Amino acid sequence: MSAGTNEPSGEMWDPVVRVLHWALVLAFATAWGLGKFGPAQMTLHFYAGYTVAAIVTLRVIWGLIGPRTARFTSFVKGPRAIAAYARRLPNRAPSRTWGHNPVGALFVVGVLAVLAMQVLSGLFSDPEDYINVGPLAKYVSYETTQRALALHEPLSTLLLIMVAIHIGAIVFYRRWKGEDLVTPMITGRR
Amino acid sequence: MRKLLIATLAAAVPATMALAQSAENTLKARQGFFQLISFEMGGLAAMAKGDVEYDAEAASAHAADLSTLMSLHIADYFAPETSNADLPGKTRAQPVIWEDMDGFMEKATALNAAVETMAGAAGNGLDALRPAVGQLGGTCKACHDDYRAKSF
Repeated sequence: MSAGTNEPSGEMWDPVVRVLHWALVLAFATAWGLGKFGPAQMTLHFYAGYTVAAIVTLRVIWGLIGPRTARFTSFVKGPRAIAAYARRLPNRAPSRTWGHNPVGALFVVGVLAVLAMQVLSGLFSDPEDYINVGPLAKYVSYETTQRALALHEPLSTLLLIMVAIHIGAIVFYRRWKGEDLVTPMITGRR
Repeated sequence: MRKLLIATLAAAVPATMALAQSAENTLKARQGFFQLISFEMGGLAAMAKGDVEYDAEAASAHAADLSTLMSLHIADYFAPETSNADLPGKTRAQPVIWEDMDGFMEKATALNAAVETMAGAAGNGLDALRPAVGQLGGTCKACHDDYRAKSF
């Protein structure tokens, strides 16, 4: 399979990264769908949100202690490396990056940050309907609960846009650069 | 003839009252009205969630007060030109309330129905109270989703 001479062998994505990725797909889709179209009593949306919180927490921990391609220190790069990769991005050739590329790394950190903000805004929201009050809303001021509420919906739209960019990038790599990014996220290998 | 005049006047009163009140006073009345609903509902929800021990008498009193609130004539609380577009920073009532009064009235009708359910349920134990709180809270949410801005 390996085209390059110095390509590492074995799994590019370890099982923890893969399970967390697909668990996030399910939990996020559930949380988003229930938030937008679910029943007025949003108990299941809350559970989906707690699941997202757990996934994000585990991914951050794994980013500190996991294997190389999972670790933040291995893929978070400075502006020069990001600019250099971005310049090569339009090239009609596979990037052959082992793990996250420097531009993709921006997205990984960004989406984890926005997901964390979304979870927090949900936990502190009080929509004043007495049935869907965030479990931490009672510990903060009324103003804070309303600021959290005002954030929760715009952030859900931002996350949807981020998902679209993510899928768009995968299609771009597949069609334009001839690189399959989906299989490695399923099997671990490319 | 005289009787007819009185009847006409009586019918005209709400409209002229609305015009006679300042927008600021209208907002105070409207927000006070929802504050009262919130207070009564808060007492019921606290019992439903187990934050406060269930008390049939207190629950019935909250439900009765909600029923009383539903008998108020609230049209003048929603006088024209009192949306958040007219009075930014002071209210979360969106202009769509006035543009889609029929839809807004449907939400109000659902609220009325939920309060009626609550009147029959509140005093009959926690198992009766809980779904009634769910139904009532659902009507709060449905209206907030469509007609209330998320922030001032």
